[in-house]
Parts: sequence; structure tokens; C-alpha cells
Amino acid sequence: MIRLEGVSKEYPEQGVPALRDAYADITKGEFVFLVGPSGSGKSTFLRLCNKQEEPDTGRIFVAGKDIGQLSSWKVPMLRRNIGSIFQDFKLLPTKTVAENVAFALEVIGRPRSVIRTQVPAICELVGLGDKMAKLPDQLSGGEQQRVSIARAFVNRPLILLADEPTGNLDPQTSIGIMRLLDRINKTGTTVVMASHDRGIVDTMRKRVIELSNGVIVRDQARGVYE
Amino acid sequence: MAFRPDYLLRETGQNLFRNPSLSVASILTVAVSLSLMGAALLIQQGVGEVNKYFRDGVEFNVWMNIDVEQEHIEAVSNFLSDSPYVRQWEYVGTEATYREFQSYYSDTPDVLELVSADQIPTSFRVTPNDVEVDSIESIGREIENYAGVKDVNFASDDIKAISDFSRGSSTIMLFAAGASAIAAALLMYNSIRTAVFARRREIEVMRLVGATKWFIRIPFMLEGLLQGLIGAFLSIFSVFALNRAFENFFADQDFYAFRDFALSVSDIMGIAIALMIVGAMLGAVGAGVAVTRYLDA
Repeated sequence: MIRLEGVSKEYPEQGVPALRDAYADITKGEFVFLVGPSGSGKSTFLRLCNKQEEPDTGRIFVAGKDIGQLSSWKVPMLRRNIGSIFQDFKLLPTKTVAENVAFALEVIGRPRSVIRTQVPAICELVGLGDKMAKLPDQLSGGEQQRVSIARAFVNRPLILLADEPTGNLDPQTSIGIMRLLDRINKTGTTVVMASHDRGIVDTMRKRVIELSNGVIVRDQARGVYE
Repeated sequence: MAFRPDYLLRETGQNLFRNPSLSVASILTVAVSLSLMGAALLIQQGVGEVNKYFRDGVEFNVWMNIDVEQEHIEAVSNFLSDSPYVRQWEYVGTEATYREFQSYYSDTPDVLELVSADQIPTSFRVTPNDVEVDSIESIGREIENYAGVKDVNFASDDIKAISDFSRGSSTIMLFAAGASAIAAALLMYNSIRTAVFARRREIEVMRLVGATKWFIRIPFMLEGLLQGLIGAFLSIFSVFALNRAFENFFADQDFYAFRDFALSVSDIMGIAIALMIVGAMLGAVGAGVAVTRYLDA
């Protein structure tokens, strides 16, 4: 589903490579943790997958297609197949839960009938069926992350990229979020999650790719944090 | 990429009212620059109309003395018939002139009472062939020397003066209009950039979930287009007002040619449409550039 072939990326202003000659092959339906300290290249790995960044060298395949060859007007189509969630949720504060989720469908031109049926269903799935009319700042952090997951998943993407989704949440809430991501993974969606939450990684026992200074130092099935 | 009209309207409306002071500033700048442009176009077309009249063969009038001898009239007629510069001429006798006089002063009977038919001078109305002001003048001077000729009236001096003046002033105005159009486009650019900045989070989300660039761009461009159109609309009012001022000013002038300086409503509609198009382009392009630069960043 995602394959990196000799991918390197350096940010000119930093001078050190964010990712160096990385090889990885993530198959459909996998759940993969990217671990490593801050600045080890986890976010760059994720940002390369949905073409928010371009690699300096190497090739990246998503669903069998070399995304380096993708013309810029096709990038939105790529992103429709890749959901993204973040540590800071990136919710729109002036929109309600339902509107935030509907927004993702609206801006890719889905008809209103689809929005009317999909939005309540997905809100129910993430456990916010009774909070659809609330604004984000009326929700707890965990609930806000659920909204952002609903928004990322409402379009039924093939891949879900999660960049430290539990970074701002307490351990108890984090477990709930992980259960939700696990459920989404069970529907066949490939999940790639960057995390430095040792407890979560150790509990889930999924495949672990460890990065250190931009280099993949470990790729282990059913691994632990270190 | 399917746009839902309600989405488009909502987004554009929200943008427009999110930052009212900036919207108003953009609209007014567009209005001012387009007013200048409209004024320049108005004057240019006015000069064009006057020149057209001139080119069609502006008349000049040869006024005879009241007690003119028949032989003097014949001498002038012969000269006019023989002159290669004269396309046509017409002798306006006492009666015809008096009728014109009566109709001209029909609303002031006092004046009519003062003047009787035998006090009315006769005249030649001459339509020259040549469009060159100089040669028309030279014929005029020649006729002036004939016996029995009181005066020769030209429109040419005034026409020349006014077209020189207008040409100069409309060039300056076009420059001013160009400069303020650039200012308008830049202000529009800044206004939209601010709007884009205020919505950067939304745009980030839109890009992440796979909205196309055009989908993100079009509401902003529509906002710029609307601002440009409103500004153009305001400028059309000032063009109409200016034309009305010309109309009033030139209505008092002696020669018909100048009355054409003020344009008809249908001519102004042409200018209005041009202003609308320029305003819309100014707005949409300024906005489009502003958003695109943000999207590529």
C-alpha cells in the first residue's frame, strides 16, 4: 500500500537529513507505528506519503502508483484516499462537530444526500452521536480527536496517517483513541501512526518502524517501543 | 469538481463580511480608479464626437451687413460656388433667419417685440470640403474681405482649442487611472491575502482532505470579482454625473459641435460595460493571484 524506495529528504534550513535512504513496504490493512525521538523523521515520513513534501531522492509508491510522477492537479485525488489526523486536531473552531465532519465531504464536492447520511453514521461510529451540534471548544481533548478521526475517515480512505494523535491526551483517553484506530484498521484501512508514547506502542504489539536521525534503524513485526 | 451553489454563496458571503473595512477599502479604491478611467474615456469619446462633427464638415457662417447690396451677395455666392474647398453652401435670407430667430426666442416675447424682420441680417451657411482647420480659416479670411460682409464665424478655433485641451487632459487622466488601477489591484491582492490568512486553517484542512486548488480558489476570486463589480458600479455613477456636468456646460455654447461633447446614454453604456469588465478582471485576477501564491507556499 505504501512503499518507500531509497527515500531521502533534507530541509535546507536545517542542514541535517530528515530522512536518509529509507526503505519500507507497508501492505494493505497493516497497522504500523513509527517511533523515535522528536526530529527523527517520523513526521517527514508521513508528510511524504500524501505529497505534502517531495523527496530529494528515491521513489514513493502509494497503492501501486509512483506519487513522484503524479501531476499536481491529481494530488487532491491522492489525498482523498488518505486520511490525516494530528496531535492538534486541526478542527475548525467556528463549526460544529457535524459541520467539521461534513466540511471534508463538502470540499470534495460530495452531494448533500451523501453528507446527510454519512455524517451522522460516522459520528455514531466514533462515539459522538449525541454531540454533533457541539462546538470543538465544548468538547474534551479526546472527543476533539474523535471528531478529527471522523473527519479523516468519513471519506473511507485506504490509508490513515496519524501524527502523534495521542500526544496531547491523558493515558486513559489515549486508550480510547487507540481502540477507535484499531477498529478502523480492522475495516481494512491501513494505519500508519507516528508516536513516542511507549505505553501505547508496547500495549498494541503492532509492527514498529524505528527512526533515529532520519535513518530506519529497526523494522519489527509485533514490536515494542525499544 | 462539483460546486454546490449554496456552498459557494455561503463561502463568498462569509469572506466578504468577515473583514468589512478591508472590503470597503478595496471597493472604494476600485471605484476611484475606475471613475478616473471612465472620465478619461468620456473625454476621449467626447472629443471624438466633436471631431466627427468637424470632419463631417463643420459649418461656418458668413454674416452680411443688414443693408447689404444684392451685387455683394452675388459676389460672395460666386466665390463660394467656384471655391474647390466648399462642399456646399446655402444663403439664408431675411425671412428664414427671422423664423429661426422667432423660434429661438419663442419663450422671451420681449426680445421678439424689439426686433423686426428688416433688422435681421442675412447669412451664408458654408460647409467646407476640407478637414484641415487652416484651409477653412484661409477661405474665411478671404470672404471677410468682400464688400458687404460683416463677420465670419468659425467653430474651428474653439474646436481646436478644446480638442487640444481634452487630448492633453485625457492622457493625464488615463495615466492617473492606470496608476490607481494598479493601486486597486494591489489593495485587492492584500485584502484577499488577509482573508486567506484569516482562513489558513480552513484552507489547510481543505488541502488535506483533497479539495482541488480551484475549489479553494474560486470563492476568493468570486469575492474579488464582487468587490470589483461593486466598485465599477459606483464609478459608473460618477461617469454619469460628469457627463451631466458637461451637458450643462456645453448647452450654453454657440456651436452645435460642442453639444455633442456630452455623450448619449447609449454611448455611456459602452463605457459602463468597459468599466464593469475592467473592475471584474481587476478583482478576480488580484484575488486569484493572492490565493495562488498562498496555495503554492
